[in-house]
Amino acid sequence: MTRKSMAALFCLLMLVFATTAFAQQNIDKSNLTPEQILKGQDDFTNGFADQEMEFTFNVYDVNGSLKKYDAIIQQKGRDKRLIRFKSGEVKGMSILTEENNRMYVYLPGYKRVRRIAAHNMNQSFVGSDYSNNDMAACDYSRDYDAVKNKEDDKFWWLTLTPKAGKKMDYSKLVMKISKDVFRLWETEYYNHKGELVKVFSIEEPKDFGTKVTWPPQVQMKDARTGHKTVLEIHTFKVEQGLKDSMFTQRYLQWAR
Amino acid sequence: MRKSLYLTGMLMLSFFLSRGVAFAQDEEKKWYDMVDFQGYLESDLRFIVDDWRGPTDGDGYKFQMNRNDLDLRLGITPFETVRAVVDTRLRMYGFSEADTMQGLNKRETVDPFAIYLDEAYVHVQGLGWEGMDLKVGRMVQNWGTVDQFNPTDNVSARDLSDPLDSFAKVPNQMIEIDLYPADWLTLNFIWVPVFKPSMLPPSANLGFAIGYDENGCFKDLPTPPMKIEYMEELMNMFGAIDPCSLNFVDPEMQIVSPDLKIENSQAAAKAKFLVGPLDFSLSYYYGRWSFPVPATGYAGVDNNAEDPNMLDVKYIVELTYPRIHVAGFDFSYSADWFFDVGFVGEVAVFFPEKVDFALRAFQNGNLIIDKVNNNVPTTPFVKATGGFDYTFTSWLYLNAMYVRGFLDEFNDMYGIHNYVVMAWELKFLEDELQFRIAGIFGPDDMSGSFQPRITWVVVPSVELFLQGQFYFGDEDSNNPLDFKAKDKLAWKPVGRNIVALKAKVSW
Repeated sequence: MTRKSMAALFCLLMLVFATTAFAQQNIDKSNLTPEQILKGQDDFTNGFADQEMEFTFNVYDVNGSLKKYDAIIQQKGRDKRLIRFKSGEVKGMSILTEENNRMYVYLPGYKRVRRIAAHNMNQSFVGSDYSNNDMAACDYSRDYDAVKNKEDDKFWWLTLTPKAGKKMDYSKLVMKISKDVFRLWETEYYNHKGELVKVFSIEEPKDFGTKVTWPPQVQMKDARTGHKTVLEIHTFKVEQGLKDSMFTQRYLQWAR
Repeated sequence: MRKSLYLTGMLMLSFFLSRGVAFAQDEEKKWYDMVDFQGYLESDLRFIVDDWRGPTDGDGYKFQMNRNDLDLRLGITPFETVRAVVDTRLRMYGFSEADTMQGLNKRETVDPFAIYLDEAYVHVQGLGWEGMDLKVGRMVQNWGTVDQFNPTDNVSARDLSDPLDSFAKVPNQMIEIDLYPADWLTLNFIWVPVFKPSMLPPSANLGFAIGYDENGCFKDLPTPPMKIEYMEELMNMFGAIDPCSLNFVDPEMQIVSPDLKIENSQAAAKAKFLVGPLDFSLSYYYGRWSFPVPATGYAGVDNNAEDPNMLDVKYIVELTYPRIHVAGFDFSYSADWFFDVGFVGEVAVFFPEKVDFALRAFQNGNLIIDKVNNNVPTTPFVKATGGFDYTFTSWLYLNAMYVRGFLDEFNDMYGIHNYVVMAWELKFLEDELQFRIAGIFGPDDMSGSFQPRITWVVVPSVELFLQGQFYFGDEDSNNPLDFKAKDKLAWKPVGRNIVALKAKVSW
């Protein structure tokens, strides 16, 4: 699983989790353009005032070995994000993203908060290949043009290609989006050679006790090697009224 | 005995707390949420791979460390705005200290240990005003933006007792008030009532060791911070004497610590600003330089009471901690316009207290040498570090710095020197295997050191390390009479060439 895969995984995860006043609105979905569907996805991603998710990050190597890390992500709006690792050799490490992608990391071994430069967005961390970039907000409608391939009673299939002038990691994405709540069920990723490199999929959503249902697991599988990463979702909460003060360096020091 | 009681108490406390947490899970989840628990167990085996950097030639190729650390860190958040942290460490040294039959009866001499209280503080948020925090207790401060070589970071003394852990600090009791008046501004005020000095490497004593030749006869004195002509005069005192007739008592290094008066306490303030891609701070520190500075020397030569052909020589040096004012500036900047490189830097202007070095030598009670020269002038001096880091690929990372003034350099007679610091990190197999090679090079004297390290994350939480520390350059001063003539990083007191095998389990 590459860091790019993980970035995509995180984005897709957030899409899956996103819920939606938009989806519950009484709109005529039969006439939505591909751009509107994609825009809906972006709105889903940041559709909550705040959200919190506890999960286990399961990395399966091709030889079957498994690495697990527990973590919690809290997010407010589009820009404020706090990730804390709860297990493994990085337990206690926290990463804060403030507005304008200003990022800080708290390293328990050094007992200090350090600013992360932009190049570090591509750096993997936590002893896994999860990069800072994986935490970045996703805005597909900003970066991709969409074409509707087909649809049935339950799903749309969109093909996404980078907008002119946009340098993206993939030449093409194929998304399968449900019509009920605009949930993303599957995505295929194609590299610049046109090869299928990985596939994202989710399990049947279940009730987490919130006003919407969520998939208990999401999976990203490398189409070439068979390597896969599974996020096992334990809790998902929304609209808890998370304070702005939680997304500050002050809190980063406080929670250590 | 007291240590044993302390240890027993700590372990019982940990047990009951863990039980408490378990009960709380069943009965009331909120109690579970109030407590967080971290720690690690680390086993550290080190071997000296030289026999030329010790107190005598031929001393080496032996185990240097056989240590185990058990760290227990407990955080309690009884209220939303109150948090207490206790971080204790049990250290088992692994080498028997029993040198008598009686010692074999005591576990603490056969298997010596120590208990450290690395942190113990209370943190209160929103004290009187939503934007004000108070922290009181035992803690460390880490100021500055660069790694390790932080000239603006003077509140907490360094713990250099472990050459492989140069980030460690000496915890101290302090009171900290933090103000958050705006998103872009943070103010810190710290008061440290009692001064604590930095801890030195075990090899530091070699800086004051008497030199002997291959016959075990006196060769040279440790070089004090004196003018060369004064040193020549001192050596002439011994020059007329058969060096094999000199019976040197081990030199005494006497530390003159500041007394406990309130005027010896330390104060520091910092204002941190966030301006777009730039974070910067202005800081001020008033306190003491935490590394000892030689201030007086005493050399006494007396006839040996039993052997008229021998002379007893006693050498005593007093070391002090001079007062300093430090004005600092640090920054970190993410250059989006230049490959997203991260730049960091710190500049500190030191205003030191004057330190003179006075040497008096006596022969059979008669004063024969009485010299004084300046060791640390009051002239302000600058220490600075600037550097960058960059991630080339997901598996290759570089951190490079220029350092003006090593950690312990204080513009004494040795002066302030230049260094280049570089660390490469390579990660493979999804970060399970990591290589790190770090090095420090001093172009002023062409000495340096490098520290290779291999880390294997066996499974999450379990790490194995194979690492080393190696020095290069000329260990011997090219002029034993000149305090400035040593090659800094090759100098024996800096440390031994070692390899280490560590295992660490975190929870």
